[in-house]
Amino acid sequence: MKTFILTLLLCFLSVGCATTRALPVYEESGLTVEEKKLLASAAEEQAFLESSGIIYEDEKLEEYLHQIVSRLQPSSVRDEIHFRVKVIKDPHLNAFVLPNGTIYMHTGILARLNNEDQIAALLSHEMTHVLKRHALMSSWGRDAGSPAFLGHLGKIGDFLALLGSIGTMASLSGYSQELETEADLVGMAMMSAAGYDPKEVLRLFEHLTREKEEQNIKEPFFFGTHPRVERRIENCRQFLGTSFEETGPGQNIERLFLERMKEVILDNASLDLRAGRYDSARRGAEKVLKTGQDDARAYFLLGEIFRQRGGSADYGKAKAFYEKAISIDPKYPDPHEAIGLIYYKEGEWVLARQFFESCLALSPHPPGKAYIEGYLKKCVRRGIDS
Amino acid sequence: MKKILWISLLFITACATGGSHEGASQNYLVESPEKWVKLNSNKYLIFTRESAFEQYILIQQRPVDKPFKHTKRTFDKGMLPQEAAEVIIDEIISDRTILNFRVIENAPAVVNQYDGFKVVFTYKNKEGLEFKTIYYGFLQGDWFYNLRYNAAENHYSEKDIRTFERVLKSFQIDASQSV
Repeated sequence: MKTFILTLLLCFLSVGCATTRALPVYEESGLTVEEKKLLASAAEEQAFLESSGIIYEDEKLEEYLHQIVSRLQPSSVRDEIHFRVKVIKDPHLNAFVLPNGTIYMHTGILARLNNEDQIAALLSHEMTHVLKRHALMSSWGRDAGSPAFLGHLGKIGDFLALLGSIGTMASLSGYSQELETEADLVGMAMMSAAGYDPKEVLRLFEHLTREKEEQNIKEPFFFGTHPRVERRIENCRQFLGTSFEETGPGQNIERLFLERMKEVILDNASLDLRAGRYDSARRGAEKVLKTGQDDARAYFLLGEIFRQRGGSADYGKAKAFYEKAISIDPKYPDPHEAIGLIYYKEGEWVLARQFFESCLALSPHPPGKAYIEGYLKKCVRRGIDS
Repeated sequence: MKKILWISLLFITACATGGSHEGASQNYLVESPEKWVKLNSNKYLIFTRESAFEQYILIQQRPVDKPFKHTKRTFDKGMLPQEAAEVIIDEIISDRTILNFRVIENAPAVVNQYDGFKVVFTYKNKEGLEFKTIYYGFLQGDWFYNLRYNAAENHYSEKDIRTFERVLKSFQIDASQSV
């Protein structure tokens, strides 16, 4: 079976469909003028993205993602493309690749996945866009540059407005039906050849479908424009049914994976909270707690969700989560400040003062120090008056 | 294209200022800075000395329950100034065209007699130009009021900040005006 999948993958990579050029990508001698132009644009966009403060800095995470890429990358093209993976601080579910092989994954999508196979599903899809030169094909006018393509750009979010080149824009906005299908199918073949379970592609689609429904968006970036998600899922199911019956469990070890991803899940939950995506933020915090680890930051985030979303009606629930966070890590200042704020708003001056003082004792210069000092003065004054 | 329209609008409607001005369809009064030009709209009152891309002072009044463009968080009438400042910061952070956003100061502040907040921040736009903003805001009844001084890095000046502080000091809610 393994031989069959490897043969299938080699066929995809070396022959491709009728519209795909089969030359190895970025072999200097084989570069066309368009490719050189496209790579220059990609380098500019990469430099811009990486100096804009949106990159999530976590060397260990990048190294881990790079290991998955290395495992997926067919040896026949290993020396020709140097894939890199960077993570973007953004709670929306998306990933894209520049034509030079730099893959960008949002924290939002990383936080949603449940195992390494699902990351491999996403990465292999993006890698296929590069291996099969999809951006170049778009720059030839098959996708990009057409009125339909340009018209679509304005509708899929302001992130696109940051990047300029049409060829590389296609990598964000999605390719044609044919190219996206090719990326799905070749991606699954790559997964299987690397020992991942290609059935996890369907789980990846489930996450994206759920996001689409919850956020009431037409299509998340990753789905591209064509074909619609339902059709892509169906294509993948059919392909799985005919080619991968005997695949093993892959790397579907959820608990270990979640422990490794804990920090990015919690950081992303904070981003969700800032964006007012309370359900997503809650899902992130609860996901970490489901691993069986008591985590003070996860409880603090749950407290923040209830304080910010529910207002005074949910203050009781918020306080309970903050207290749980303090019980796990008594030296964590943030829940002290947050409980102080609730007591302050409830007119409980003595209790508010106690928590504000404990916050300052744990962290003499918190970001809200000027506010806390003001609250303390009022607490003292009002405590005496009452 | 948007920029061209915006600049055209600025020059068509701009006029030399001086004296007291109220926001169009709004219920506040401010003293206009001398020799700055004014652009008045239903959404905000804006003054600029050279052009709005170099520096501006903006005064805005928005309903407390009006949704924001980038964050789904909303104001609540009972919010403390610190909480209102958090919402504003979250709105800016959630705007994906605001890059390298950095809060320099976030502190309680009083605008006239109203308890509010002052946030000073810097950011870059997609062209890589750096801007600095001083943002005062407060909640009052059904409204959130904000007064901002924004300037490109090379146009940010102490003289303009003093002008902004005079505008800030002159700010009054005109209770006789129903909105």
